[in-house]
Amino acid sequence: MMPSLRDVVDRLSRQRGVRASLIVSENDGLVVDSSLRFGEDGERVAALAASIYRKARLSADAAHLGAVSFLQLDADQGRLCAVGRDDLVLVIVAEPSANVGLIRVELFKALETLA
Amino acid sequence: MNVAAVESWIEAPLRRYIDDARARMAVLLHPSGQVMAQAGFTRDMDVMAACALAAAAHATASELGRQLDGRAFRGLHFAGTTRQLFLSALETRRGTYVCLTVFDEASSLGLVRLYFEELRRDLIAAALVAVTPRPTPTLAADFETELNRNLAALFAGPRAEAVIT
Repeated sequence: MMPSLRDVVDRLSRQRGVRASLIVSENDGLVVDSSLRFGEDGERVAALAASIYRKARLSADAAHLGAVSFLQLDADQGRLCAVGRDDLVLVIVAEPSANVGLIRVELFKALETLA
Repeated sequence: MNVAAVESWIEAPLRRYIDDARARMAVLLHPSGQVMAQAGFTRDMDVMAACALAAAAHATASELGRQLDGRAFRGLHFAGTTRQLFLSALETRRGTYVCLTVFDEASSLGLVRLYFEELRRDLIAAALVAVTPRPTPTLAADFETELNRNLAALFAGPRAEAVIT
């Protein structure tokens, strides 16, 4: 049976160090589904992450680099990881100490389930 | 982008909103249709039309919300093929204002909504310290005069004149 969107974000949120996981509409920047730790602003993350992902995708396209497979933004207080397909972007906000390799694998697995 | 406001306390928050949300155009108006500020418009007639239509759409959406949900809808979004608009009202100490925002693929509804909430907070804060006299309600008899005065202030020229028949 196909997992629901809720199953997808819940599974991503169970990874160590993950503060928020969201499925976002790339064009609208709106939350499709999310699992947020207390205090995380899902709408803000969704709008900004979708904007960054879209710009990265358009930039890669303009530079003839092909499709964006994985986007990672590291900041002092955390990191943001995103993968996308069609109009959907899977976004994770994690602690700076989180294992990005593991998160990347989980994001790609989740993306497969959305296909 | 050119930003002009009838009252100076509106200008900085509106400019920040336009820049952050990457909007193409915006107009802030009284629910009656009186323009208070505009950004991105080049012709006074465009602002007049936008204000009249935005005021009508806001009144319609508010009443529909009251009938369906018991209170006015907070926002209205239309998506065209290349441009979209977002219409929402905000309450300040100086009264209620309606903001019409036009954006395209450089932005998104999520970004516009996000930064509109910041505009709301900024205008509420700015209204608290604004030194210009508190506006009096515009009467129907004064509407044309007020409209022409505001358009002249925004476009700084004698051409900015409306005739209401």
